[in-house]
Amino acid sequence: MKELTITSDTPGERLFVLGNEAIARGAIEAGVQVAAAYPGTPSSEILETLSGVAKELDIYVEWSTNEKVAFEVALAASICGVRAMASMKHVGVNVAHDALMTANYIGAKGGLVLLSADDPWAWSSQNEQDNRYIALQAYMPVLEPSSVQEAKDMMADAFKLSEQFRQLFMLRSVTRIGHARSDIVLGEISREKRQGKFVKNRDWLVYTPREARINKPLMLERFDAIKKAANTLPYNQLKLARGAKLGIIGCGLSYSYSMEALKWLGIEDKVSILKIGTPHPLPEELVIELLKSVKEVLVTEEVDPFVELQVKAIAGEHNIAVKIHGKDLLPRVGELSTRKVTEAVIELTGAKPPVDFARLDKLAEETTPLLPWRPPALCAGCSHRASFYAIKTASKRVARDYGQDVEAIYPGDIGCYCLAVNPPLEGVDTTICMGGSFGIANGLAHVVNAPIVAHLGDSTFFHAGIPPLINAVYNKANITMVILDNSATAMTGFQPHPGTGQTAMGNEAIQLKPEDIARACGVKFVEVVDPFDLKAAAKTIEAAIRFEGPAVVVSRRLCAMIDQREKRKRKEPIIPYYIDQDKCSGKCNACIELLGCPAIIKENGKTIIDQALCTGCGICAQVCPYKAIIEVSQ
Amino acid sequence: MTKEFNVLITGVGGQGVILMSELLGEAAVKDKLKVRGSEILGMAVRGGSVTSAIRLGEDVYGPLIPTGKCSALVGMEPSEALRNITCLSKSSLDILNTAATVPFTVTLGQSSYPSLETIMEKLKKAAEKIIQLDAAKLALAAGSLLTTNVVMLGALFGTERLPIKVATIKEAIEERFPAKVAPVNLKAFDLGYETCQRALK
Repeated sequence: MKELTITSDTPGERLFVLGNEAIARGAIEAGVQVAAAYPGTPSSEILETLSGVAKELDIYVEWSTNEKVAFEVALAASICGVRAMASMKHVGVNVAHDALMTANYIGAKGGLVLLSADDPWAWSSQNEQDNRYIALQAYMPVLEPSSVQEAKDMMADAFKLSEQFRQLFMLRSVTRIGHARSDIVLGEISREKRQGKFVKNRDWLVYTPREARINKPLMLERFDAIKKAANTLPYNQLKLARGAKLGIIGCGLSYSYSMEALKWLGIEDKVSILKIGTPHPLPEELVIELLKSVKEVLVTEEVDPFVELQVKAIAGEHNIAVKIHGKDLLPRVGELSTRKVTEAVIELTGAKPPVDFARLDKLAEETTPLLPWRPPALCAGCSHRASFYAIKTASKRVARDYGQDVEAIYPGDIGCYCLAVNPPLEGVDTTICMGGSFGIANGLAHVVNAPIVAHLGDSTFFHAGIPPLINAVYNKANITMVILDNSATAMTGFQPHPGTGQTAMGNEAIQLKPEDIARACGVKFVEVVDPFDLKAAAKTIEAAIRFEGPAVVVSRRLCAMIDQREKRKRKEPIIPYYIDQDKCSGKCNACIELLGCPAIIKENGKTIIDQALCTGCGICAQVCPYKAIIEVSQ
Repeated sequence: MTKEFNVLITGVGGQGVILMSELLGEAAVKDKLKVRGSEILGMAVRGGSVTSAIRLGEDVYGPLIPTGKCSALVGMEPSEALRNITCLSKSSLDILNTAATVPFTVTLGQSSYPSLETIMEKLKKAAEKIIQLDAAKLALAAGSLLTTNVVMLGALFGTERLPIKVATIKEAIEERFPAKVAPVNLKAFDLGYETCQRALK
């Protein structure tokens, strides 16, 4: 038997996959021809899956420089009649927002799907925004899956619906869909290949005020048609229980939590349930039918009360006397769970708790104080650790000249390096959004009197770091911009970017250098340093901070994880360091307190290096005052 | 027909937690079981806590194991097992690797690590039975430290409570690993399995 893969055209067979792989499979089944994305957890594996099979399927896949470009690439394909998608994490949609708000007037010709990977509880994000509100603003219909299987099915259908209604669709995934695992039943793969054709059409594609006024009413008409159709889409299902007093409206994954809660309580046939797969537009007729049949309704959804507010409006408009609950009983913050829904249902029905929650909570209360704090940390051998040590050493030297209590300010950005906020590095003072480090630094320069040393990674630089860099030159902001160039989009899983010389499809590309861009933008101080030479790096960064006007330092060292992987491939030895216990005082702890490397540990009062973790970067040897840290000889 | 069987694997980044859940999931599909699961990735791989749930059976909807509903916890690291104590059910039979991975915050003196006795005392309150083993030692005996997670997987099957057949999980292991290392992993699985069986007697 041939092994099943994500591209097997074997309808009915079952495959065990990650949610994001299922979403990619849905797009493959629909015959997607163009897919573009910028990496971001929890969305990255979608494009990774597609890029891995792009050549086999003869489709075009790219990692774009940012989400706006990714969305525009997909939009262009759709305008030319080709099925296309853009996938991104929730905050990525903010970057694409500008294009989105006019793209909705255009609608879609070839099926066009925007995949928004929301992250309730902000597991790996700076916020937990609910992107259904963006869809509301854009009159963009939203499909929200309740399971991995449905995510696959919806993705495949979204392209068809998009073409049928000539509108772009959003598929709202969440962390527990994209990063869930499940068996899925495969569908048929469309083999249709379309040749893109651009037809000039001013009324449709050139947005001056005239066209905005022409197209908005057309968009509203398209949206109304979708609203009507929502009542009969298979993703919305109403199941009325005879004599039920309570109804649950479960949206997306929250439907699954709700079903499990009812089963747990043993009341699944006593409560009416409306499963919502299209939170926008809602299937209004089904909502009304449910509201009229019960006394109370509980709306379950993650994160904000998006469906709840609409249901309340529907009840008001139709004068239905029903009490509507939602975020009064369930949190607006974080993910829902079977337990949270169970407790809300208990509150409304007086049902008996299926387990003794209080006993378990007491256990948690007793054990939490015992647990060690285990924050994620920069890897052993990570070049960022060295860069931060150098940045802080240099900044402290300059800050003294500003005044006694002056401290340098370190605006930071989105990437692994935000982990340097933790002790002992403590080198991050702000983290807001992609490119935000340089932007915030621009503003600080005009209001505070202190050294301002901003940092971001190479991928982030290409994504959103260049406009604020130009701004600093143009508006004469006296700031230092350090580009932590580890030649990787490391936090999201090492996707290629314009600085790596490779594309998503594995083709060679021109390797862009941040220093060349900085020079071309008019920055007069541009230097490249190797962070593993701590002294030299600190000296150059100090000169950059002292330079009058914007300065750029590129701190370049390959990501330790990639470096180790490549060395292993080349069968090159990795030579760790060890601590000579005769020289180490055992008490000074400088290596631990200055660097916080996970490979340096304490054992029975001795400071030792974990040989399995040490990558041999050697920066601890450079900070040890006793010269006790030595390379293991071969 | 299996109605619901929940496995929670807890550990720290780099311990092979995700691989274990992939093996379980692939084997479950082979045995025609419905599978749901979820994990936390992203920042967690940088040395942080990792949990992965694999849920089997017809009554399962969501990807997360509800509070108090875990059938078997596989603790790759003692304190991380303790961190998930509210998941445990009184009827759970759990496997604990006794080797601690002490986070750097303890090295820096910012937090402390509980003793194994304390961890066991708490866990025992929440579970039916906990089987302790030194998985790394067994992995070395099998031929490679890298098989520590497969030792734990073997121990999990040694409880004889899983709805997946032993032959099926072994098939999944053989398919997953290159022919050169598959035998070492199968041996690791057997050592874990036998150790668990002995502990239960």
